[in-house]
Amino acid sequence: MASETVEIEGHIIDSLILAKVMDLILAAGADYRVLDVAIGKTNIDLSRARLEVSTTDPDALASLLDELQVHGANRVVTTDAELVPADRDGVLPPGFYSTTNLATAVRIDGRWVDVVQPEMDCGLVYDGGRLTSVPMHRIRVGDLVVVGTEGVRVSPPSRPRGTHPFEFMNSEVSSEKPKALLVQQVAARIRRAKDNGAKVLAVCGPAVIHTGAGPSVAALVRAGWIDLLFAGNGFATHDLESNVMGTSLGVSVTSGAAAEGGHSNHLRVINEIRRCGSIAAAVEAGYIDGGVMYECVQRGVPFVLGGSVRDDGPLPDVYTDVVEAADAMRYLIPGVGVALMLASTLHAIATGNLLPAGVETFCVDINPAVATKLADRGSHQALGIVTDVGLFTSGLVEQLVP
Amino acid sequence: MCPPRYFRVAYEINPWMVREVVADAGRAHEQWDNLVAVLRQAGASVEIQEPAEDWPDLVFTANAGIVNGRQFVPARFRHPERQGETDLDVAWFSAQDFTVSDLPLGVCQEGAGDALPVGSTLVAAYRFRSDAASHAYLSRLTGTAVRSIELVDERFYHLDLTLCPLDDRRAIVAPLGWDRYGCAVMEALIPEPLVLEPEEALRFCANSVVVGGTVVMPSCTPRVGRQLEAWGFDVVVCDVSEFLKAGGGCRCLTLALDVTLGLGLS
Repeated sequence: MASETVEIEGHIIDSLILAKVMDLILAAGADYRVLDVAIGKTNIDLSRARLEVSTTDPDALASLLDELQVHGANRVVTTDAELVPADRDGVLPPGFYSTTNLATAVRIDGRWVDVVQPEMDCGLVYDGGRLTSVPMHRIRVGDLVVVGTEGVRVSPPSRPRGTHPFEFMNSEVSSEKPKALLVQQVAARIRRAKDNGAKVLAVCGPAVIHTGAGPSVAALVRAGWIDLLFAGNGFATHDLESNVMGTSLGVSVTSGAAAEGGHSNHLRVINEIRRCGSIAAAVEAGYIDGGVMYECVQRGVPFVLGGSVRDDGPLPDVYTDVVEAADAMRYLIPGVGVALMLASTLHAIATGNLLPAGVETFCVDINPAVATKLADRGSHQALGIVTDVGLFTSGLVEQLVP
Repeated sequence: MCPPRYFRVAYEINPWMVREVVADAGRAHEQWDNLVAVLRQAGASVEIQEPAEDWPDLVFTANAGIVNGRQFVPARFRHPERQGETDLDVAWFSAQDFTVSDLPLGVCQEGAGDALPVGSTLVAAYRFRSDAASHAYLSRLTGTAVRSIELVDERFYHLDLTLCPLDDRRAIVAPLGWDRYGCAVMEALIPEPLVLEPEEALRFCANSVVVGGTVVMPSCTPRVGRQLEAWGFDVVVCDVSEFLKAGGGCRCLTLALDVTLGLGLS
């Protein structure tokens, strides 16, 4: 898709010039997007409009631009972005362009180059024709970093046209919507992503196990619907505890009763797994024979467990260096098409920070604040589904693993 | 106005100009003197600009620029054949104590030939001789609302071959020279148009000068004449056939100096 921005100024509304320019664009088989329009307040005031003109054929675009110029619509001269080599490891040059998770292109040597995997809060590094989002700590001396906003173009997420399965939801966080319908639609999105060869990522909080949703998530992993798991020490611990002890944080996952001395159950399980050396080793030794982590190990589904200050143990698989944890997640994210954030606040936000805006993200939580928090931190694509994660995942299993 | 001492068809920059056609200098002088007399008779006072040997089209003073009260916006000619006229025009207006306001370099605009007031609005044309991009500058320089009209027929290469405003409601118009957007804009602007037939337009009926209640025309058909008289105008036809050889009529030979944009005619 070739596109350029044109600007037109004058009495363009009353003279029908804007209408004419738009008609000419469409007649040429191209399309336009109004980027900005300022209409004069009085008859004498001038109006101004900026249009992005796009077409599949770059030659047709060039001749269309020539034609538009006759009517006073001039191409907005865009200069190349400034590239500055980093002078220290782990430090971006002053004035660096700070990224969003939206599709981004940068003009280099007169050409628009797309950012390969958009990620928010990074710098942009140009290397051998490729433009990538690079977090600050991974910058190396000599990396060519985009500085300033000149020559950088960000595309807002496209609004789906026509009948959109979610169009009935006018609020992004939805507690007053038919849940069965939502579950069906999320299932359809997962199916479609898998059909397109995209990966499905699950981000799980410990409440998944506390609320009894563990077996449903395990069933989804077993049936091949989940390709990637991000969680913390808590989720994995309680999943393993429930397998070995039948409790989650000392509470029976079947009867709901507190087990005697149950407060130490998870510590004993962590201890044994530390003795085995890893979760995979514990599965191999037969210590673990079911649950989400078990299914992940059995099916070779990669998982990243990110640690935190308050972790017990932690499990030997937990990344205790948060920067390493984020890098491990980052490494696995390319190819993800759907992300399910299940009853997770901190890991959901951490994951949201790494995902391109194009990834369909569903945030399932009983607390509407989680989806709001996610959106407030820049993951505007996240759709909040306010419901109990146990009910939601069992519904998903009904849809996907009949 | 500028006497045709050096007027000749020296080059071809519009479809009417053919270098093989020789303009008769004597007849041109006679026609021009007659036009001056007719305009004076109608009540106009005529100021004279000295002709210059190298600039035969200087007779077509309509293209010198745009007059707005005591402000003068000099033309920026499309063709090098006429670009030298601007220094002479600026000198003349400066000598008359006009304030000169320049359009930026790089945009073409051929004066009142391509910009005529209709009511409080300045109708400005573009494509052949003037650039659409000049219109926003014109509006800024003169503080006037502008309507941009695209000319589509090269035989009507200037707006004043397609439009002659008579008063705030009426005008002689040749829509055949405008694109459909321009036609729609003009329709909204002029409640009572006198629409020329193609052959009337091609005889430069619209290239007329209005002085008070008199319309001075290079040619007129009975139909057009009757309508103008019904509206209360006196019609005087002035033979300017020698100048038509260069693509200019009565209007092109004059530049109104008593124009203040934004006020309207009546």
